[in-house]
Amino acid sequence: MNTEKFLQIFQDAQLSGDKIILKSGLHDALKFLREQSTFCILKDISAIDRSEKGIELIYHLYSQIDNEDVLISICVKDEAESVIDLFKSAIADENEIYDMFGIHFSGNERLKRLYMPQDWEGFPLRKDYVEKDSRLAWNDNEDNA
Amino acid sequence: MNYLYHLYIEFLQKYGIPKLAGDITFYIIPFCIIAAVLLVVVLILVLAERKLLGFFTQRKGPNRVGLWGILQTLADAFKLLFKENITPQNADKFLFNLAPILVFVPVMTVLGIIPYSSEFTFVNTSTNIILYLVLAMFPVLSIFLGGWASNNKYSLMGAMRAVAQVLSYEVPMTFVILSIVVLASSMNLTDITLAQYSRFGITGWFGIPCFIGFAIMFICIIAELNRCPFDLPEAESELICGYNTEYSGMRFAVFYLSEYAMLFANSIFLSILFLGGYLSPFGGYLSHMIWRDTQIANILVYFEQAFWLFLKSGLIIFCIIWVRATLPRLASFDLLKFSWKWLLPISVINFFIISVYKLGGAL
Amino acid sequence: MTMKTTLKLNLGPQHPSTHGVLRLILELTGEQITSCEPDVGYLHRGMEKMAEKMSYIQYLPTVDRIDYLAGFFYSELYIRTIEKALNIEIPEKAKKIRALLLELNRISSHLLWIGAFLMDLGAISPFFYAFREREMILRYFEKLTGQRMMYNYFVFGGVRHDIDFLEDIEEILNILPEKIKDYERIITDNPIFLTRTKNKGVLTQKTAINYAITGVNLRASGVNYDIRKSDYLYEEIDFNPVIMEDGDCWARYKARILEIKESLKIVKEVLEYLKKSEKLKQNLIKPIGIILPEGEYYSEIEAPRGLASCYIVSDGKENPYRLKWRTGSYYSVNLLRELLVGNYLNDAIAIAGSLDIILPEVDK
Repeated sequence: MNTEKFLQIFQDAQLSGDKIILKSGLHDALKFLREQSTFCILKDISAIDRSEKGIELIYHLYSQIDNEDVLISICVKDEAESVIDLFKSAIADENEIYDMFGIHFSGNERLKRLYMPQDWEGFPLRKDYVEKDSRLAWNDNEDNA
Repeated sequence: MNYLYHLYIEFLQKYGIPKLAGDITFYIIPFCIIAAVLLVVVLILVLAERKLLGFFTQRKGPNRVGLWGILQTLADAFKLLFKENITPQNADKFLFNLAPILVFVPVMTVLGIIPYSSEFTFVNTSTNIILYLVLAMFPVLSIFLGGWASNNKYSLMGAMRAVAQVLSYEVPMTFVILSIVVLASSMNLTDITLAQYSRFGITGWFGIPCFIGFAIMFICIIAELNRCPFDLPEAESELICGYNTEYSGMRFAVFYLSEYAMLFANSIFLSILFLGGYLSPFGGYLSHMIWRDTQIANILVYFEQAFWLFLKSGLIIFCIIWVRATLPRLASFDLLKFSWKWLLPISVINFFIISVYKLGGAL
Repeated sequence: MTMKTTLKLNLGPQHPSTHGVLRLILELTGEQITSCEPDVGYLHRGMEKMAEKMSYIQYLPTVDRIDYLAGFFYSELYIRTIEKALNIEIPEKAKKIRALLLELNRISSHLLWIGAFLMDLGAISPFFYAFREREMILRYFEKLTGQRMMYNYFVFGGVRHDIDFLEDIEEILNILPEKIKDYERIITDNPIFLTRTKNKGVLTQKTAINYAITGVNLRASGVNYDIRKSDYLYEEIDFNPVIMEDGDCWARYKARILEIKESLKIVKEVLEYLKKSEKLKQNLIKPIGIILPEGEYYSEIEAPRGLASCYIVSDGKENPYRLKWRTGSYYSVNLLRELLVGNYLNDAIAIAGSLDIILPEVDK
């Protein structure tokens, strides 16, 4: 893909290492990549808790025609744009991120607790997650001691 | 049977018991014999099936309890006997308990109308075949009852599939039986057996002119028994266990038992219709050949006839188990399509061919 | 007037053919599925959270458990990522050993799938036949690594010890092609099997790409995407990715059979190399106290159930700051939402089975 062309269209995007960091307009960027370019597989979405910067979402796109990968990164707080209208596979990824990081994707109504029980409090992969839930086995032991 | 009947009455009158009591009890005793024999047969069948499936899939099968695993089924039966009978809370309790009882009645009756040897038919009516058809249909009613009463979605689906399946396979089966009736000019099973007699043994069997019918009947019987590849009502990988998902302990054992008893009854029925029943495949009976016309031969011939019948049905059971080990399951709609689109037209054609054949033979 | 009501059916989590603990909430009209909602998480072990609490070597034995049928793939993936971060070059022979074991593992995984899939379709014998052949491979793994499933054989910078018992592999290579022929005879030409799999659960290229399906399922839909082509382990190995056009259950079945054959070819080729090669010389790095330089590391591998990737973010401490797994099965489960709708219940089982979903991989 022509990275420069992409950077021209999305002014606030900048290249850092091998990933493109966006400040906003995630949906538009992905729409551009899917429809104007050939990136049609969203391999996965990774989320990383960058504490003070919020949560960084990395969209890993792949173009089967050009055999090329591109990483789109964006930092969000608690709300992000959903891309399920572009990539159906995002249903799975966004649900997992909601479950583990508590990010709400606007536009995705299927979000629910996935791995954790329905009544679980907190989001385990966040760095500020306190493991003091009484339902956890080791906490129970501490109480007993 | 008359011979045995007179023997029995004579025996009773020796002790001063009125003839009426003899008339009544004479028809009860065979069913007691059947019940006892049936249990043994089912135990053997279950073991045989497990052993054979083991050989087909390169395993050993049961080989721990008793010599060669002979007592395995007995151990399983005892285990089931002592297991708790669980009735689901939301089940229709009366129907739920009624189903296993009802499933067993027709099975016992079916075995009563079969001619095991020339003098050994418990109930010999002139339209045995019709009776058989009705009774063989019966277990599906209790399957439906059980599936419905369980109040379980899987059971319900299994039950519905069972009814649809039996209904659609009953039709081609009836056409095939009709062609046999045409061939034998009788609806009595003993007469049908005797009609297949020929000096050369095997050549007289209806399985030869009616080989298409034999194939259809074989398929229909597998379907009626809900066995692989037609085991949709209890498809393990889809409906868990179908209609008997909720049954446990002895109730489950009764369903299991009746399934194998029906397998036995149906294979005997098939061998009567197509493989000459109790007739020897060599024309004359072996006991007559060896002992000529002595008294021993006259008694032994009854046992030999039963032996031939059991051997033939054993072969059919072997084939049914073989089929189970080989084929995957049909999809439910393919199953119905197969019956209505293929089996039914072919069975009608078969009926036509047989009628012409019979007519040609008469001319 | 007819009233249409639907039946809600809970398929699983304890159901004989969900291959573990998958729960599908189905809505049925008659026996036709009108909607499907997968519910996962019954096997969640917190693999990603665990990584953040463990040092790199502590985490190594657990990665085999992500997919217990193809343990080599995940340990190779994890080790590969760390080697990438530390700039370690592994010796040529170690590469070949890894490739050989991966392909054998792929064969064993596919064999199990064939058995399980046929079991879903109601045929019992192929299950035992497939297990018999898989047993040979597992026996070899046990001989070599001491474990049948969780091998823990690859280490940072190479393999734990040199490969041995090459004659066992030769035996596998002699026996397996014959057996595969047997499978084809009993399964592939079976008319019942054909009616149950042909044109059932057709996965078009577009849908597959949209749902990010990878691996054999994608290749069975006609997309030529095999990451092995650009994998450093397979650099000098000659093989062709298996591409099928139809995208139905039958194509997925056939693709796996062909892939086994292709893998056997690779094994044969690597075996020739290993027989000629000298004793393995490798400089293993001291695994205790590994610290990855600050940064983000990503690598991927072609696992039997689709593309798997590992993403490690390090902040220069002893344990990873964040570790993310991508597993193929998770996306296949997601696909069930669309693929099952409109099918009948007994086809649905076959379709779900044909996607080769394994639950520990889904739940992580």
